[in-house]
Amino acid sequence: MSQLMTGTYYLAKSSEAQDAQLHVNGDMVSLHYQGQCMHVFDMADLTQSSTIPGVPMEVIFPDGAKFTADDVTARFLNRRANLETLEKNKTLIIASIVLVPAFMWFVLMVLMPRIAQSSVAYLPDVVAEQMGKQAFEVIERTLLEPSVTQEVQKQQIKQQWQDTLVALELSPDKYQLHVYASEFFGPNAFALPNGTVVITDDLIKQLQGNSDAVLAVLLHEIGHVEHQHSLSMVAQSVSSAVAFAMIFGDIEGIGEILLGTGSTLVQSQFSRNMEREADDYALAKLNQLGKSGDAFAQAMQSFLDISDKHSDEKSILHYLASHPDTQERIDKAKNYKP
Amino acid sequence: MDVADSIHMEQPSAAQTPSTHTAPVEFAGKGGEFFGIWIVNILLSIVTLGIYSAWAKVRTLQYFYGNTAIDGHRFSYLATPMQILKGRLLAVALFACYTLAVSLFPIAGMVFILVMFFLFPWLINQGLRFNLRMSSYRNVRFSFAGSYSEAFMCFIVLPFVGAITLYLAMPWVLSKIDEYIHSNVKYGDKPLNVSLKAGEYYITVLLVVAVSVVGFGLIGVIFGASVAGSGFTMGEGTNPTDFVNAASIMMFVGYMLFISVISAIYKARIRNHIFNNCELEGLAKFKSDVKIMPFAMLMLTNTLAIIFTLGLAFPWAKIRQARFMAAATELELNSNADAVLDTMEEQKASFGEEAAEIFDVDVSLG
Repeated sequence: MSQLMTGTYYLAKSSEAQDAQLHVNGDMVSLHYQGQCMHVFDMADLTQSSTIPGVPMEVIFPDGAKFTADDVTARFLNRRANLETLEKNKTLIIASIVLVPAFMWFVLMVLMPRIAQSSVAYLPDVVAEQMGKQAFEVIERTLLEPSVTQEVQKQQIKQQWQDTLVALELSPDKYQLHVYASEFFGPNAFALPNGTVVITDDLIKQLQGNSDAVLAVLLHEIGHVEHQHSLSMVAQSVSSAVAFAMIFGDIEGIGEILLGTGSTLVQSQFSRNMEREADDYALAKLNQLGKSGDAFAQAMQSFLDISDKHSDEKSILHYLASHPDTQERIDKAKNYKP
Repeated sequence: MDVADSIHMEQPSAAQTPSTHTAPVEFAGKGGEFFGIWIVNILLSIVTLGIYSAWAKVRTLQYFYGNTAIDGHRFSYLATPMQILKGRLLAVALFACYTLAVSLFPIAGMVFILVMFFLFPWLINQGLRFNLRMSSYRNVRFSFAGSYSEAFMCFIVLPFVGAITLYLAMPWVLSKIDEYIHSNVKYGDKPLNVSLKAGEYYITVLLVVAVSVVGFGLIGVIFGASVAGSGFTMGEGTNPTDFVNAASIMMFVGYMLFISVISAIYKARIRNHIFNNCELEGLAKFKSDVKIMPFAMLMLTNTLAIIFTLGLAFPWAKIRQARFMAAATELELNSNADAVLDTMEEQKASFGEEAAEIFDVDVSLG
């Protein structure tokens, strides 16, 4: 097996270059320039650059000198099949156009959430505690104002909360209810991973003293905490971003996306599945407390009524966008059977 | 007389200025060829959960370096995938720690940010150093000689100065940053001499501001007209939403054109200024003549093509851009181009060197 290549020989440690020829004869490689054979090498002592379609092969000699072939397709004949073969394979290229989006979807939407969800169970409790405590400090300072709901009504809600915790055997130390006014959240309630639950004045007003509806909403929030949804969300977005960064090798662009993680937590924008889980939790516990799913349906209906009235109101659109179809949830609550 | 004569006689040989010739930068990459490399590499990266992306990065750079030639000699990219993989794993770990810290413990996150603040100049230096050391031309490597204190000055102190002067000093700061990045480059034993003028940055920034003001005004007028137009057609039986949709697509393209023009003004003018004021001592002078409007059109068409093909046009766009940039660049080479010595010391893998190679942060040299 013999082979002849023309190209350029670059001397070691300098930019000096010579037009040269490389003769390959079995395992013997000889280098010719200025009309003579200058060096003879054993093939095993040479390093070949990785071959890439459209890029000439480079041979690196033991002393650091280098030979670059003229012909971009020239390759040592004894080279085994390599990555270049894949990159030139038309079938694989065309298949990739379909496979890449399909695999991306699988990794980001199926694999990563699954890994994230199962890893959350291994996080120590202190993580959820700290995360909730610190997030609450930040939110309280920036987005919440003192409540203006009447003291009587507040006491009523808090009493109901305490009774519920006792009835459901939930820790009253862990689950703390707060009432705040908030322009940012509008009529809303949210839970932090340490069991801190916040309900806004606007939501209390919207539910018009329907204490069972308030309870339904609060149980929904407890459902998020019991299922560790916040932690799952964070773990999911971090792992997806890491996967994305690893695949595309672009970390800077992903940072922006990740900065949204904090606000994800704040706005309790859980995935639809998580909302469903929290709904199921609320319905099951309402049932356990001897109340009907109608309370939950009424709470949901109040959101629908409001959104019909002011369809342009931002906070409500926001709420609806991140939640499953409200009508669907109402129907489910009405027909709930344990 | 004799002495004078002999001096006169010797002058030509003593001051023998090497002859120079103009050499274009040639780029031979092909869109179709690179598409195959790109998509197969992404597929392999996904299948290996990102591990292969280090190989993908090296192969992509090798494709672009290997297809760029000056005076018949091609560039080479020398980094090995393992170097990139190590750096990437470390960066990802650091990044995951950071995001976890910020989202789980916002207060701990702040400490982390402070640490990153001091780490940042070092990271930039390591990135420049690594990328240049891994670049070679005619079997001679590039290198970067910037120090931490200079980098701290350029990337932390000066931007702060720029901000507290209400950005009035920012163009000057940008010129200092570019000067730092370029004047510390060496090709073998030849330093790159750069003298940048802050005035050029001021003119460029003023031009960008002026065009922005006019552009936003124009977009506002067009938007107003299209809304008014849709109002008028309401009663006449034509579907107003069609009109609005067409208008919003036009708006989108107009907006992209506007963004392209603005970034083309800055990138083209500054690149030209840097290249035209760079000299590899006694070896080569650079010339760059990137024209603003053709460059803006290139960026616009590239962006639109990428959007409308859902990303599939990315390789084609990248090749086009490289070809465009190469065509706008020229070198005036001295005939002694083969007399450069590679001064890269023998690489003993000290811890510092290892750490230096672990981080791979890209600060592009344009």
